[in-house]
This record gives sequence, structure tokens and C-alpha cells, in this order.
Amino acid sequence: MEQLLEILSPQFLLRNAFYAGLIVGFVCPQVGIFFVLRRMILLGIALPQVSNAGIAFAFLMHTVGWHFLPHMESEKTMALTGSITFSLIAIFTLAVLERKRKGFTENRIGFTYVLAGAASILFVSWNPYGQTEVLSMLRGEIVSIPDFYLWSMFAVYGLIFLCIIGFHRNFVLVSYDADMATTLGKKVILWDILLYLIIGVIISLGVMTVGPWVIFGFLLIPPVAARMVVRGILPFCIVSSAIGVTAAFIGFYASYRFDLPTGPTDIVILSLILAFLYMVKILVRLKR
Amino acid sequence: MTIENCITLKDVAIGYGRTSILSGITFSLKKGEFAVLFGSNGSGKTTLFKTILRIIPPVRGVIIYGDGRPARFGYVPQRQYLDEIYPFTAGEVVLMGTFGERKPFCPTSKTDRSLVEQCLNDVGMLEFKKDYFSELSGGQKQRVLIARALATRPDILLLDEPITGVDMVTQRVIMELISTLYKKHRLTVLMVTHEIHTIPKRIDKALWIQDDTLWVGNTEEMFASLRADGAMDKTTL
Repeated sequence: MEQLLEILSPQFLLRNAFYAGLIVGFVCPQVGIFFVLRRMILLGIALPQVSNAGIAFAFLMHTVGWHFLPHMESEKTMALTGSITFSLIAIFTLAVLERKRKGFTENRIGFTYVLAGAASILFVSWNPYGQTEVLSMLRGEIVSIPDFYLWSMFAVYGLIFLCIIGFHRNFVLVSYDADMATTLGKKVILWDILLYLIIGVIISLGVMTVGPWVIFGFLLIPPVAARMVVRGILPFCIVSSAIGVTAAFIGFYASYRFDLPTGPTDIVILSLILAFLYMVKILVRLKR
Repeated sequence: MTIENCITLKDVAIGYGRTSILSGITFSLKKGEFAVLFGSNGSGKTTLFKTILRIIPPVRGVIIYGDGRPARFGYVPQRQYLDEIYPFTAGEVVLMGTFGERKPFCPTSKTDRSLVEQCLNDVGMLEFKKDYFSELSGGQKQRVLIARALATRPDILLLDEPITGVDMVTQRVIMELISTLYKKHRLTVLMVTHEIHTIPKRIDKALWIQDDTLWVGNTEEMFASLRADGAMDKTTL
């Protein structure tokens, strides 16, 4: 209990990490809903790896002399730039190929995942300096988040959340029935581009904060869990975020209490929530 | 709409990219007409349908809508193309028909909620408003999709094979519903089907694709052409 109160205290030393986790837990499921509904799960596996490769590439460029800001700021800025650039190139390339129906989706995404993973390792191995720093960034060092970085994350994720909520009808309509969206005068391709942009930014920033596996976990597991127990799109959205925030909160507390790595602990908590809701669904069905 | 013709196609070719599958299509659909587009699987009727709906562009030619401004379509798709992973209730599916006019950040208004209930009532599905759309029967889903199309307050109701995949009793129920709505709302209706026995006896225009030819006429002429070559307006490749 003492540790719980300590976490909630404004003077808590790791408060930035705690708040960052809550932000990820709240916003990522709203984007993850479209991953699940559009059956883009595999993309959620591949894109964080691509983002990883972008970070590693940016560090490599920084090491060979491509920097234009003071050292620490330049590193993180370049890492974020590399992450976003690689993610957006990948997602739009995959989207164009999907639209043109070239080959099989699973093959393309699998290839992207393998290539991005290999590229990450190669870029790191080519980097003669700062391998440890690169690797820690790739793992997602949620513990050490500067104030400026947290506020930036709050601003970007907040903007994305407002965008998702404000334009929710359009995103849902073009996802569910693109033909009908066209008959209602919607520019389907523009809405798809905006959604892909949001996905790219969420993953890029999230990978640098919490790492690829955790960002994928928060994109996937809350909507999947919520889908089992709710009826209707609005409850689906609310419960998804509720699950994400709950897991982030409990995960951080458990990791602090028992001295565990935060990211994997969050994933375990999410999985336990998923299993619990699955059992609830089975019990309700049996009672009927 | 004040002009008599709702849709006019002038020497239109339809297809994908630059590849034409049917060309020289010329016909008009007048306001208040009930027309059926009939053809076998793969004949191009869905492509023609989607071209009229502006979902895909024509390869060639001109499509004019009423007085030149885009018509408001009430589109009823084939329900198997809608993914059942979406956790929508029947009410939420119908509500989508109002999305064309809603601004961002605006909550759903009472007017829209009332419209949804009215449309569901028109198709006899009001009691299923809070049920999962994916758990409804084929015929029930089709009625909900018709309600969704009505919620757009359409000038033209376009139905893509609305009775495919349902039993004969349900087919009759849906066709009677369409006829009732046609009369009640004074709609212009274009319906695609490949099941000739379901075509209503009293329709205003028959469009018929066979052997890469689009025929335009009435039902008697269409039925006669099934047995032998008949005297009908003809557009060919």
C-alpha cells in the first residue's frame, strides 16, 4: 500500500515513466481497434520492427557524423526521425501493394518483419560506438523519460486521440464498408492515408518509449479482450482503453513492487485480463 | 430532384483500369422508376452497378445524374462482403446511413436516433435494434441493410443482389418489403439480381446482360429474349 501511494505521489521519482505508461495504455487501444477490425494484426508485428530498424539506422548515421543539434538532443531527435520515416515508408508501401493486390498480404508482412529485424541487427553491429545505448532504446527504456519527452508524447498522443475520436465515424465507415463510404461522398483513400499516418506515428513514438513488444501488446490485447465482452462500437472503444490503462497501472505497480522489468510485466497483466474476460464470457454463455 | 431522368448513361464503357468488359451502354433511369438489372454471374452487372454508384470510374463515356449534381444513393451491398468481426448492433449499422452529413466531434443527435428507429420500423426490425448484427439471420441482415440505405434519405435506392443466399420464403418477404418501400417513399429503385424468378411482375424497366450485350426493355421482352431473340433496344461491344 505504501508503494502504491508512493507511485501516486507527485514527487515520485519515476512518475514520468508511470505517466508515459498510462498514456500508452489509454491511446494505443483506440488505434489498435482498427488493427483488429481491419485484420491488420500482422502489420502490428512488422511495423515495430521497422521502427526499430529506423532507430538503429539513425544512430548509425549519428555515429558517422550526421548530426546538427547538441549531442543528447540530437540523438533522440534523430532516433525519432528515423523511427517515423522508416515506419511511414513501410506502412504506405504495404498499403499501396495491398490496394493493387500484388501478391499475398501475409508474405509481404512476413518479409517486412524478417528484413526489418535483420536490418536492425546489422545497423547496430555496424555502429562502433553506443551499442548499449542503441540497444536500450530499442528495448524501450520507460524508466528514464525526461520531462520534455513526456510532454511531447502527451501532446502527440493527445492529438492522435482527439483525431481518432473526432473522425471516428469516418474511420469506422471506410473500414467497415468502403463502397458505402464512397457513395456517401467520403474520400476513402484520404481517410486510409490519415489512419496509416496515425498508426505510423503511434508505433514510432511508442517503440522509443516502451519498446516494440509492449507497443504491439497494447495495440492488440485490449481490443481483443474488449471484443469478447461488449456489444456496440462505443462500449468497445471505452472498454479497450479501460483495459489498457488498468494493465499499465497494475503492471507498473507490480514491476516497482517486485523489481521486475515494466514492459514484460505490462504484457503479462494484459494477458491475465484477457484470460479472465475469456472465462467470464464462457461462464455467461454456460449460464444461458 | 426536378429533372425527370435520375441517371443517364451515354456511350459508357465499364471495366477496371483501361480494360473494358462492356461498352456502348446507353440508357436512362427516370425518377420513380423501378428497374431491374439482370445477368448471370460474371456478366458485369456488379461492375455496371458500381460504376453507376461512382465506386469505380467508367472506362469511357458519361454518366449524368439528374440535374447535374451528384445523386444521393441509398446503397444496399451484398451482406457477405461485410466483415462480422465488427461488434456493431443493428442500430449502429443503420446509423451509418447518417454519416454522410455529420460533422466531426458532433455527437449523434436525437433526430438521427429517431431516423434510425423509423427506418428499422419500416423494415420490421425495430425490436432487433440492440442485437448484434452478425448474429442476425441472412434475411434479417438484409432488412437492416435496407434500413441503413433508407437512413441516407436517398434519391435512388440501389440494391446489389438483396435476396442471394436466403430461402424462398425470405426472398418473397424481402421483395415485398422492397415493393412496399418503393411505393411508400416514392423511390427510384435499381436492383441487381441473377435470380429471374424473384423479379417483380410489375417493374418499369428491365436491363439485361447476356453475351456481352446490354438489353433495355420491359419484363415481357426480357422473358421473351430468354427463349428467342427479341426486338429490344440493343447496345453491343
